[in-house]
Amino acid sequence: MDYKYIEQLLESYFACTTTLQEEQILRSFFSQEDVPGHPAQYADLFNYETEAKAETLGEDFDERMMACIEAKEEKVTKAHIVKLTTHHIAPFFKAAAVVAMALTIGRAAEHAIGEQEAEENSNVVAVDPYIKSSDVRQAIRVKDVSQAEMKATNDSIISLATEDGIQ
Amino acid sequence: MDFRHDILPLKNIIFRTALRIILNREEAEDIVQDTLMKLWERRDELEKVENLEAFALTMARNLAIDRKEKMDNQHVSLEEEEHDRADDRQGNTDSGVMRQETRSFINDIINALPEKQRTILQLRDIEGKSYKEIANVLSISESDVKVTLFRARNEMKEKILQKKSFFL
Repeated sequence: MDYKYIEQLLESYFACTTTLQEEQILRSFFSQEDVPGHPAQYADLFNYETEAKAETLGEDFDERMMACIEAKEEKVTKAHIVKLTTHHIAPFFKAAAVVAMALTIGRAAEHAIGEQEAEENSNVVAVDPYIKSSDVRQAIRVKDVSQAEMKATNDSIISLATEDGIQ
Repeated sequence: MDFRHDILPLKNIIFRTALRIILNREEAEDIVQDTLMKLWERRDELEKVENLEAFALTMARNLAIDRKEKMDNQHVSLEEEEHDRADDRQGNTDSGVMRQETRSFINDIINALPEKQRTILQLRDIEGKSYKEIANVLSISESDVKVTLFRARNEMKEKILQKKSFFL
């Protein structure tokens, strides 16, 4: 081995003009058991550099780290589920609102028709000239429709209830 | 982004760099855990990161500097730690013991350098990183890296030569 070359590399090393490759050559050179002459005084430095790179975490680190990550993931997933549930429920709120509205309208319609019928009945003898037979038929149709609506809404309430039960 | 394949392998370089800053193994290990956890939490952003290792090292360095400051303020003694380290080293033969003593001497003089110098020395001479990568980690210019490394290496040289003349 040409020590002049090593001396030169050392000089460049302390001047910070060596390349990474040249620095690796220095470390390889000093890893030999017996380094003669003047460069020997730097053997410890370069051997320390080589050894320091072998410093690693203990074997149990991975296990602990993965446990941390899994615990974190679990938390995140749980939070996610809660979010999903509210999301899922949201359309049911809408459905419930629709049902409530249908019920109210249905009831109101029924109530109005009931009143109209009562009025009609009381006016049968008197024969109110303002009530045409077509109006009566219309009223009856409306009543039928509202009853059909009532049935439909009842059905949907039942189905909602069962779906909720499944949920 | 997979934790085990993309993030976990950074643990040892983060550990060594954090240890060089904080000079305490337990604390350094904590910093590795925190850094890896933070990386995992931000995994969606990491796809855009050009150099994940440099990004992780910057994060770890900032954490280590913060903690070191807190520890210094609380006057936490590192002497005990130093003793543990000395005991950990196996030295069965006389030459083995001697070698470890000199290695410990090198370790001590590196650790006595200012933080910026010892971190740069760690990244260049132990981790074998380019000036560009180091500049990236420390968010400074490449010439700043070179100047700082120059100071660190020459301080080392001076201390080694001093010790030599002391024994002669």
